Amino acid sequence: MSPARIVREARRAGLDLIAVCDHNAAENGRYVRRLAGEMPVVLMGMEIQTAEEVEVLAYFMDEESPLLLQEELYQTLPDVSCDPQLFGDQVVVDETGEIVRHVERLLLSPVPLPLADVVRRIERLGGLAVPSHVERLPGGLLAVLGLFPEGNWPVAVEIAPWTPLADICLTWPELRQHSILRSSDAHYPAEIGRAWTDFRLDAPTLEEIHSAFRNRDGRTLRPSRETKEEA
Amino acid sequence: MQIREIAADIGLEALAVADPGREVAGGYCSDLLSDVLAHTQPGDLWITHQRHLNVVAVGKLRDVAGIVFARGLRPSPEVVARADAEQVNLLISSDPAFVVAGKLYSLLHR
Repeated sequence: MSPARIVREARRAGLDLIAVCDHNAAENGRYVRRLAGEMPVVLMGMEIQTAEEVEVLAYFMDEESPLLLQEELYQTLPDVSCDPQLFGDQVVVDETGEIVRHVERLLLSPVPLPLADVVRRIERLGGLAVPSHVERLPGGLLAVLGLFPEGNWPVAVEIAPWTPLADICLTWPELRQHSILRSSDAHYPAEIGRAWTDFRLDAPTLEEIHSAFRNRDGRTLRPSRETKEEA
Repeated sequence: MQIREIAADIGLEALAVADPGREVAGGYCSDLLSDVLAHTQPGDLWITHQRHLNVVAVGKLRDVAGIVFARGLRPSPEVVARADAEQVNLLISSDPAFVVAGKLYSLLHR
């Protein structure tokens, strides 16, 4: 997905804010952001797979923190090269569509860091940590770990684009204690905007989003209806 | 068959065994705790690679006879301490899960 295509599809879908979350990598976000010029606002992000094989979304507003985190995680990834025939190209693409570089190590591997450690690293750098598609395998927190871990995390969770909200709250009643986001989880351009979350915010900032996660000060959120089941 | 006899027979190291006389009725292999919640039977010896603290809660909820970490995977002291507190039997095997399951199956079905 080139930055130009991502921005075009996001505008077509009427999205005001998107997050670019490659597997264990953040770098592409900044090129999408340069091109988008705040239409839409682009959060820097990453989808990190932990040692338990739980997937966690990390959202950032600044560029430095996610790139630091990317570097920290990259050092821990197994030294296995990406075979493009099997896994596709792992490229960083700039705002003109030029390939900046190829990433050598396979980003599909989990990082050998426990979930609690990954969440701590994200939050220490000022990011928001949200478990991805919690009900779905592979990688969903509830599917993999059966229950929410002890403690105050997570405040907000993401569910898959095609899961009906009522069904999932019956299967996992503990979800009612959490803010539920839905996002497109787009791996292809046409999937951008297939599901979304409506936020009521004063400004598109991480602080405001965090307030919406906690349903504070009139900041709220509501997931869209489910999209059609994945083929 | 009691878990202490099984541990001695197939070479399991005890990490936290509050109830060595617990009867083992069967076994289950899975690393997905939602699957374990749905499909283990009370009295199963559960063989896994998953070392998150939630294994103790899930093992307790399902009343498994014990949890065996395969391939020498050692959980954190926090997990062992919780198993002690919750009286959930926790063991380690240096064998891979396939071999642990095979040995257990032979013992229970001979």
